[in-house]
Amino acid sequence: MSSSWEQLFFQILLLVVFCRHINTKTPGPTPPPLVSINSPLPTDIRSVVLKGESHTESVELLNPVNLTLECTWTGNQNKLPNITGFWRKDGDEVENSRLTVQLENDQYNLKRVFSIISEENLGNYSCMFESEAKIDFVLAAPHMHEVRDKPIVSYVGDSVVIVCKMEETKPKPSTWNWYKANGTDKEQIFTAAEPLRYEIKNDERKTKLVVYNLTEADGGLYYCGAVYAINTTMGLVELKVINFTEPLKPFIAITVEVIVLVVAIMFYERYQSKKNYTAGKGMNDQTNTLTQGENNEPEEGSSMRQRKV
Amino acid sequence: MAPATATKLGYTPPDGGWGWAVVFGAFISIGFSYAFPKSLTIYFKEIQEYFFVSYSEIAWLSSVMLASMYAGGPVSSLLVNRYGSRPVVMVGGLMVSTGMILASFGRTIVHLYLCVGVIGGLGLAFNLQPALTIIGTYFQVKRPLANGLAMTGSPVVLFTLAPLNQFLFDSFGWRGSFLILGSIVLNCCVAGALMRPVNKNSRSQGCVHKIIDPTLFKHRGFLIYLIGNVVMFFGFFAPVVFLAPYAKHQGIDEYSAAFLLSIFALVDMFIRPATGFIGNTKWIRPRIQYFFSFAVSYNGVCHLICPLLPGYVGLVVYAIFFGLAFGMLSALLFEVLMDLVGAHRFSSAVGLVTIIECGPVLLGPPLSGALVDIFGEYKYMYYACGVFMLVPGIFFFIMHYFNYKKLDEERRQTVALEMRTCDEAWMKHSESNFPEGLI
Repeated sequence: MSSSWEQLFFQILLLVVFCRHINTKTPGPTPPPLVSINSPLPTDIRSVVLKGESHTESVELLNPVNLTLECTWTGNQNKLPNITGFWRKDGDEVENSRLTVQLENDQYNLKRVFSIISEENLGNYSCMFESEAKIDFVLAAPHMHEVRDKPIVSYVGDSVVIVCKMEETKPKPSTWNWYKANGTDKEQIFTAAEPLRYEIKNDERKTKLVVYNLTEADGGLYYCGAVYAINTTMGLVELKVINFTEPLKPFIAITVEVIVLVVAIMFYERYQSKKNYTAGKGMNDQTNTLTQGENNEPEEGSSMRQRKV
Repeated sequence: MAPATATKLGYTPPDGGWGWAVVFGAFISIGFSYAFPKSLTIYFKEIQEYFFVSYSEIAWLSSVMLASMYAGGPVSSLLVNRYGSRPVVMVGGLMVSTGMILASFGRTIVHLYLCVGVIGGLGLAFNLQPALTIIGTYFQVKRPLANGLAMTGSPVVLFTLAPLNQFLFDSFGWRGSFLILGSIVLNCCVAGALMRPVNKNSRSQGCVHKIIDPTLFKHRGFLIYLIGNVVMFFGFFAPVVFLAPYAKHQGIDEYSAAFLLSIFALVDMFIRPATGFIGNTKWIRPRIQYFFSFAVSYNGVCHLICPLLPGYVGLVVYAIFFGLAFGMLSALLFEVLMDLVGAHRFSSAVGLVTIIECGPVLLGPPLSGALVDIFGEYKYMYYACGVFMLVPGIFFFIMHYFNYKKLDEERRQTVALEMRTCDEAWMKHSESNFPEGLI
């Protein structure tokens, strides 16, 4: 009697283990991740008509999408009835994309739907007609153009504001992130971790990173990331932190130059008036010498009291 | 007109010699006075971000500086009348320098308003007036040329400061740049050192320098100048301020728009000494007020035509013609005042003129900006500026025609009489103020 209970117990145990085993093992290859499991991806279409040999089209994407790319080619001199068309992504041929394209209404037409879900799906997609005509579609999230290319300079102990802006003509990002470069890596800056050192102020199209109490180590590359559903685009800003003694050097140099010049001019004047005092001692009639020549005019000065101008 | 003023001075100005060194000093002082406030705008964006202020709050810095510079005019005149040009310019240079050095340590935007705006602006006023005044003491025959050369300082210094400021900003940020600019403006002290007081013949001093001269308001020529200038200044600076924005509004890219300003500045630079030279010729000099009236009217015509010129080429043509007009007017602006009131009253006159011009100079650009905002386009602003310059131009032509007639009449009657009265006044004055006497 106990052995049948043991057997049942053992079978139930096996069943439970087996079922668990079934549930933890996935049967086939991992299906591509979907942004939202409940609703399907939106669709969009981009069409280009090519008259020459090649054309590049920029496609700005914000969200994951099922993107249809359509290429139309007017053909060359020999309008062959059938040509080969295929697609490339970032230079590599897309599998199973080779088709025979027929001449319709004096044009060749190639169309394909791509699932653009995340960063790996962005890039350069090309439709090729034989090896003669090419249309490039550059798929990317909006890029910032107004980023300062020269370094921002600030001082040890001072604070600095680094700004990144997305132009009015581009769509606004959902949020902004800031990163500091660490060798070849980027480390995200979290203000909660160091509230006395960093502050991030976000507007819709503008983001400001404030760094307080700068040290020389704070210098380097900073990245502002405009976050879109599809990808985060980066802008690069360089920060240079210098000591206050740096501008002091040219300051002192120029001040010295000024002092030297002023003293030189004063001495020259003193020298000239001394020279003319001895020369002018013998002169009685100042009126005559006044009208004589321009050079005599300042030389007269010594013997007379300088009147205010 | 010219000979009468010379005898009023009571001595023969050197018209050369050390005078050319003085012109160079004036060139530097005038250059910094006009160009320094304009060149600081390069730092505005960073300062605006640093202090978390709005664009209009940072633009206030320029306005405070300009207001101080113009309001400081009478104070400057007073000091020049009392102490002469040299000490005032040197103090002015030290003031601007101190202002900039203090500003480089600033912690609030108000700190900047005070240091750069008030102290800096006042220091620049102490450079401008004395520089203009001293030219009148060194030059008579070649005065228009000397004035034209000295006024060339403004575009030349601006041309130098603009890229220099950009370089300083890229290398040192705004704080370090302000510190270094503090030392650069000290060169105004060098300019002041060059402004050696001119030697005056002891024989007769001419009319005494009054400390403040309210009788100027009864002076016909002065009144014509004042009234015309007040109206004119409403439309004088706005077209320069809006040249680049207007170009960008037409769809022209930023670099080409900036290039327009460079063309304008380059033409301005060369036309100023040329105008001085032309004003000095024997055909123009006796009737130089007409030359000035022409310059003012020409500015007006330029602005009226501007909106009709199409495309970038049209704007380049406008920039060239406007550069010519602006330069001509600037070169003659103070020369004609000297011509009207005489070198010995010039200091007081220019002080009064600058403080009264303060209003239109400060109101002009914002009012023009308001016109652009209301109508959404620039052409009405240009028409308005054109009218504000053409009307005074015509006013000047008419009024000076009558003025010249009256002056010729008066000259015939009163020259001798004035000489005698002046000698008496000087005798009285010299006894009370200069007991040692001179001879």
